[in-house]
Amino acid sequence: MRLTVFNGSNRGKASNTAILLEQFLAGFIEQAANEYETLYLIHEKDQTRCVEAFKEAETVLLAFPLYTDCMPGVVKTFIEYLEPLCGRDGNPALGFLVHSGFPESVHSHFVRRYLEKLSRRLGCRCLGTVIKGGSEGIRAQPERMSRKLFRLFFELGRIFGKTGQFDKKIVGQFARPVRFSKLGLLGARLGAKMGDMLYWNRLLKKHGAYDKRFARPYEPDKQ
Amino acid sequence: MKKITILNGDPGNRAYELDSYMGEIENLLESRGHEITSFVLRRMDISYCNGCWGCWVKTPGECVVRDDSAQICRSLIGSDFLLFASPVIMGFTSAVLKRACDRLLPVIHPYFEIVTGEVHHRARYEKYPALGLILERGADTDQEDIEIIRDIYSRMTVNLKSELRMMRFTEDSAEEVADAIDSI
Repeated sequence: MRLTVFNGSNRGKASNTAILLEQFLAGFIEQAANEYETLYLIHEKDQTRCVEAFKEAETVLLAFPLYTDCMPGVVKTFIEYLEPLCGRDGNPALGFLVHSGFPESVHSHFVRRYLEKLSRRLGCRCLGTVIKGGSEGIRAQPERMSRKLFRLFFELGRIFGKTGQFDKKIVGQFARPVRFSKLGLLGARLGAKMGDMLYWNRLLKKHGAYDKRFARPYEPDKQ
Repeated sequence: MKKITILNGDPGNRAYELDSYMGEIENLLESRGHEITSFVLRRMDISYCNGCWGCWVKTPGECVVRDDSAQICRSLIGSDFLLFASPVIMGFTSAVLKRACDRLLPVIHPYFEIVTGEVHHRARYEKYPALGLILERGADTDQEDIEIIRDIYSRMTVNLKSELRMMRFTEDSAEEVADAIDSI
């Protein structure tokens, strides 16, 4: 199978998206005949090369982090460039990977609806959408903390490389929790506090900005 | 009297009627005493958010990339109403508008909180504007597209600590839209 990957992260090669894809693609090429090509939307001067790659692709994986509950601007730019391909014969099969820092998958459910409609609009066979929450720390944390996640992404890629499908079991596992239960929310509250302290405060202190963390530079003058 | 910020996401590469329609709306709103700040996004220098979190952890509340997006953040925080306007292109609002929306992150605080049973980021400011959306349908726009846009914008407004109070189309008369904005 030939897979064309579009990395839609604004962080490009230095993104969590790239790290997750690396694992997925390592699994994917376990099948000796499989090959892939990765294009980074943010690193392209204009998107014509990406459109050409899409046109020639057999199977496409579009991967990006959730940005304000939707696709990042650069991904929407790419999608607009694809407009002339709507309904064309021979469009590739199209799968999606959306990840976000939020622990629940519900945040990404809305853009999934958009993406699956987009497949229909283009006339692409839709391979589905892999949603993964809790992804923001991956770049920052030691690799051993991500070992299980990486193994699952490798396995997802391996099965995809063999069957051309996202494994339902792994996709289901990634999607949990969709929302927190009442009990889960207690844990989430604690997790949120921990995230504030261990992630945001650490970064704020590292940059000497902790004391300014509640700054309101655009507050209108009170008269 | 309301302070109103308008983000016009017409990409300007096709014969959309949005620009002239928004011109009409703006004139009407001004004649009714509202104070309008209108941004035609395609004419502004707004780069893609690069996801660096600088606006949260380096220069809290301000983007480290100094371009025109700061004007939008400032205007938004000083407004009672924020109106997004865009043609529907490939089933969603324009890339020009989405690129600008991605740069609104500085007005939010990184800390987490639970909102309606979900993890979200906290407010940085006490007050955020009510939100509205004006769409110009494309030839291929259907009801499903509109519902998806409505639902995604409703989600976005949770993050902007606000509510989607109005969604209208360029086929509605400018008076109707101005009335709707008056009543918010």
